[in-house]
Amino acid sequence: MDLHQFSDWLSSTAFSQTIQTTTWAIPGIQTVHILSLSLLFASAVLLALRFAGLGLLAEPLASLAARKSRVIWLTLVVLVISGSLLIVAEPGRTVTNPVFYAKMVMLLMVVALTAWLTLAARRTEFRPGPLLVMGAVLTIALWIGIIFAGRLIAYYESY
Amino acid sequence: MITSFLEWLQTTGLAVLVGESWFPYVESAHVVFLAAVAGTIFTVDARLMGLAARHLRLSYLSERLLPITWIAFAGAAVTGTMMFVANATTYASNTPFLIKMALLAGAGLNMLWFQLVTYRRVTEWDTGTPVAAARLAGFASMLLWTGVIGFGRWIGFV
Repeated sequence: MDLHQFSDWLSSTAFSQTIQTTTWAIPGIQTVHILSLSLLFASAVLLALRFAGLGLLAEPLASLAARKSRVIWLTLVVLVISGSLLIVAEPGRTVTNPVFYAKMVMLLMVVALTAWLTLAARRTEFRPGPLLVMGAVLTIALWIGIIFAGRLIAYYESY
Repeated sequence: MITSFLEWLQTTGLAVLVGESWFPYVESAHVVFLAAVAGTIFTVDARLMGLAARHLRLSYLSERLLPITWIAFAGAAVTGTMMFVANATTYASNTPFLIKMALLAGAGLNMLWFQLVTYRRVTEWDTGTPVAAARLAGFASMLLWTGVIGFGRWIGFV
């Protein structure tokens, strides 16, 4: 079974048909997706700024990183669930779309980077070196890339 | 009168450029900016409702986050206007768009009332659980911005 056949099969399942025929379902799921990504993005920006010595400085980095990484992982779970529902609802838009795979590659990279940053920040009296600061800045570039790819999926023809 | 103005808007160089080639990228940038706006606002709202970061002063958190909110809002407004001029007559008769604008105005009024009235006595409730008026402002803000995003996404479905 190639990706096109998989996409057609997924689209023909009863669950996919239910989402497709419920008028508000797709905009509703997309709204949940955007609300979660807003919280995630703001948390990632605040964490990266703190790594760069800006923003929420009153709090030790270890404590801020613990709070923000909780929000990031929790909203990421909601994003993966809502994103999966959107794939099941309209597989033709994603499973054969190179932009979707570009988004997934960036997602894997940012997850690895964020795990590295938050693990490093667990040490008390932690002061990030230049490599970690660069990593923090890179997470924001990747999240912006992920958001762009996510929206551009709608405009790129699948192969 | 308004219709002819909207029709003229659509013929401007910027509108044609956005409509013919920039639209997907302007829209993507709009999502990045709105995520920064809504995400920072939800963070302050959660503190206002006493749900998160209670160990931080409300005034400290809002002073640190609002500059990000405003810069991102400027970006969202610019990209939003670019999308609007490209299809001005369509948006003007799009019900979710009109509801979104009304909710946006509501969010603005809620913020104005909070800043001018409730926040003036912030020193009395800056630590711990905020007063009822502040908790209500945080709750209203969260609802209004959720609506702005929901109806914003709905614009493309009608």
